[in-house]
Amino acid sequence: MELFIIFISAAIVNNFVLAYFLGICPFVGVSNKLSSATSMGMATTFVMVITAIVSWLLYNLVLIPYNLAFLQIPSFILVIASLVQFVEMVIKKVSQPLYRALGIFLPLITTNCAILGLALFGSMREYSFLENVIFGLGAGAGFTLALVIMAGIREELDLADVPKPFQGAPITLIVAGILALAFMGFAGMI
Amino acid sequence: MNKVVQMLLVLTSIGIISGGLLAVVSGWADPLIAANQKAATEAAIFRVKPEGKKYEQIKNAGFELYKVMNENDQNSGYALVYQGNGFSGKIRLIAGLSEDLNNISAIEVLDQVETPGLGTKIVEEPFTSQFLKLETSPKIDWVKGEKPDKPNEIQTITGATISSKAVVAILNDGISRLKKLRESGGLK
Amino acid sequence: MKKQVTLSKEFLKGVWDNNPVLKQLLGLCPTLAVTVSAINGLAMGLAATFVLVMASLLISTIRKIIPPQVRIASFIVIIATFVTIVDLVMKAKFPDLSKALGPFIPLIVVNCVILGRQEAFASKNNPGRAFLDAIGMGAGFTIALLVLGGIREIIGSRTFFGLQIMPDQFEPWLIMILPAGAFLTLGLLLGAVNVYADRKKRLEHESLVAHYKRVGREELIEELEVK
Repeated sequence: MELFIIFISAAIVNNFVLAYFLGICPFVGVSNKLSSATSMGMATTFVMVITAIVSWLLYNLVLIPYNLAFLQIPSFILVIASLVQFVEMVIKKVSQPLYRALGIFLPLITTNCAILGLALFGSMREYSFLENVIFGLGAGAGFTLALVIMAGIREELDLADVPKPFQGAPITLIVAGILALAFMGFAGMI
Repeated sequence: MNKVVQMLLVLTSIGIISGGLLAVVSGWADPLIAANQKAATEAAIFRVKPEGKKYEQIKNAGFELYKVMNENDQNSGYALVYQGNGFSGKIRLIAGLSEDLNNISAIEVLDQVETPGLGTKIVEEPFTSQFLKLETSPKIDWVKGEKPDKPNEIQTITGATISSKAVVAILNDGISRLKKLRESGGLK
Repeated sequence: MKKQVTLSKEFLKGVWDNNPVLKQLLGLCPTLAVTVSAINGLAMGLAATFVLVMASLLISTIRKIIPPQVRIASFIVIIATFVTIVDLVMKAKFPDLSKALGPFIPLIVVNCVILGRQEAFASKNNPGRAFLDAIGMGAGFTIALLVLGGIREIIGSRTFFGLQIMPDQFEPWLIMILPAGAFLTLGLLLGAVNVYADRKKRLEHESLVAHYKRVGREELIEELEVK
């Protein structure tokens, strides 16, 4: 039950993009096409789950026992950067189609604050290992959901008559605001 | 070859210098951070138990619990820190209790992420002052949209019923655990 | 050889022409997340400015000994070090502010403004210029956050820096301090900036046309060539 609450909370109620503003850069940048939004969402979810596993192990088995909590930020970001590189190499070796689908998005993920945010939130909330993995999965699902909904809306928006100064980023942010408002309706589910 | 050596050298020295620098800074900051946290807890304990002069933590309670002593060094009750789910996340609060655990002296919400302007009213007056002298047995109860008429009832906030009910539920949970602890003799 | 810009321009470009938030759309996560009040916006802006200035100074000083293959990794470690220092100092000296900003101080590490300036500017220029560039970008970032935080605080909770400035009759718009309000305010602000920039461009264009009508074609071409 607790695990289910963590998943729903991270995916919908406290959506990373719409409630915590994490991962706004790819959200504004990649959300103009439905197909690329789906791929980006899946690549991010994948990296998030691995990050949840590795950052938990690093924090609880190395940093805490050796009293090195002050190295948390540099070590997390380095681990995430090398992890993304590693995942890219493995995917390239193992599956060419998957690499073509996700490949170009992987380098972008390193600078996605949602990933570092996930690692930091996980250690701040003192989740257990399993809880942290579920949290990563939920956050990834929520990110994908927000990205896909947004991409769907923006494809329609291309046909709409938006005033010139508001074209591009401004109207995207305003739509995101309305979406955030809609997601507030999910509050109280947990 | 030379290039690889230079790469390794630069990265390693940057790593060592930054690690060393951070060790120094955190050596300076950690005691201050710990002192801040202790001062914040202490201030909260004495706000919910205003007559308290000294306190000590009951270590083997299984949750955060403090025994509060008055100026004559007599036990004057307990301060209980407990948390649970609110409307959009965890609510963590501290409650001051009389020695027999039948009355609340005051409560204070320590952490919450409720809806700004609605759920966040659980932190403020007049909601919190309803808990002054509130009776805890058989359990705390709530009424909606009318004035409470029993000594163990509070009125929920309009527009923030779930947050208000969450506070009551967290208190009931914490107090029932505390009562069980007393029955098993853990408060000695 | 690239034309050298004046030192004051190096500073001013970050404040308006290339404002990181309003023009380049960088660093939006902290911009949206912490600006529920003016003080939070200011604190976040200053913390990011400190990191940006220190990292730019250091990186431009040692730019010649960092091999290009490991430059990004070096930048990230240096930035992360300064961010941790800010985080620890804030926790030790300003616990309330640190609690309000929550995990967004550590997230300065992945703020694209900071890494972007290292890659685009500090690693190619001397410390003096890098310092001015960092101060300018930091100021632009801080101003944008302060404006956004100010607007949201005034309309959303009737106060500015904690002081009530709107009358009691004004019912605060709760939406402004909710996440949705952050998106809406920034969207409208960006739109307003675009309207202003478009108008300025149009006015410049019109004055050029008027000038052309006055002086004739040949003279105008000569003038432009001199410029």
